[in-house]
Amino acid sequence: MNTDDEYIPPTANQPEQPLPIIKTRFPVARIKKIMQADDDIGKVAQATPLVVAKALELFMISLVQESCNQARMRNAKRVSPAHLKQAVLGTEQFDFLAETVGKYPDPIALSGDKAEPGTGPGRGRRRKVVE
Amino acid sequence: MSDREAPSSDDLSLPKATVQKIVSEIIPADLVFSRETRDALIECCVEFIGLISTQANDIAEGEAKKTIASEHVIKALQELGFADYIEPIREVIQEHKETQKQGRERKVGKFEASGMTEEELLRKQEELFGLARSKLNQEGGTSG
Repeated sequence: MNTDDEYIPPTANQPEQPLPIIKTRFPVARIKKIMQADDDIGKVAQATPLVVAKALELFMISLVQESCNQARMRNAKRVSPAHLKQAVLGTEQFDFLAETVGKYPDPIALSGDKAEPGTGPGRGRRRKVVE
Repeated sequence: MSDREAPSSDDLSLPKATVQKIVSEIIPADLVFSRETRDALIECCVEFIGLISTQANDIAEGEAKKTIASEHVIKALQELGFADYIEPIREVIQEHKETQKQGRERKVGKFEASGMTEEELLRKQEELFGLARSKLNQEGGTSG
């Protein structure tokens, strides 16, 4: 990660993106299960998983939109895990995800310097993702 | 919408198809989310749920409450730097309350459905009693 000093977080330059209205709903029961998979979590009020679902929707919109920005800035048509990683690293709200995205490859540097051969997103493919 | 997958408790995650649908509602038409990216996104989502839940749980415990309520989630979001989520969430809570209220009101439906006030209903009742009484008198034919 040698471009940190030169890299300017894109969120500063991006215009406010309109909030899309999402028609698809998260399964509220599943969210409750995920919450309670942690033994420390006890009872939740009836409205609580609904509220968490809404927060999750907003979170997803934010992360997805920022990942798209990262892809666009690199003229990519496919949004890759590297783009998502950079979205996380460039957004303070997503600091808690820094460790989670650590395993994904770093995206192409945007400082204007050409990436050395052998570096860049291609390297990430050495790890096969089993579905 | 019922979940078709039955994940083991260790693999508890969000349904891939649902996440994919939501992603396609967000992204512009000319971009595509790869499968890997979608899966990475799901991981992040699960982390987010855990983060909020843990914080909300701590807040509830701090208030000596055994149940995590919406207000605890709201405080958690505030503390974790997601204050911009709070307003839309308050709307969700409001809608939820309205829906619950409507459910209760539906059980009293007959009264409201009649469209009459209580006085009007009483009058109507007296009317019907009167009719029934006179009918009884005619048929009964009790004299004296």
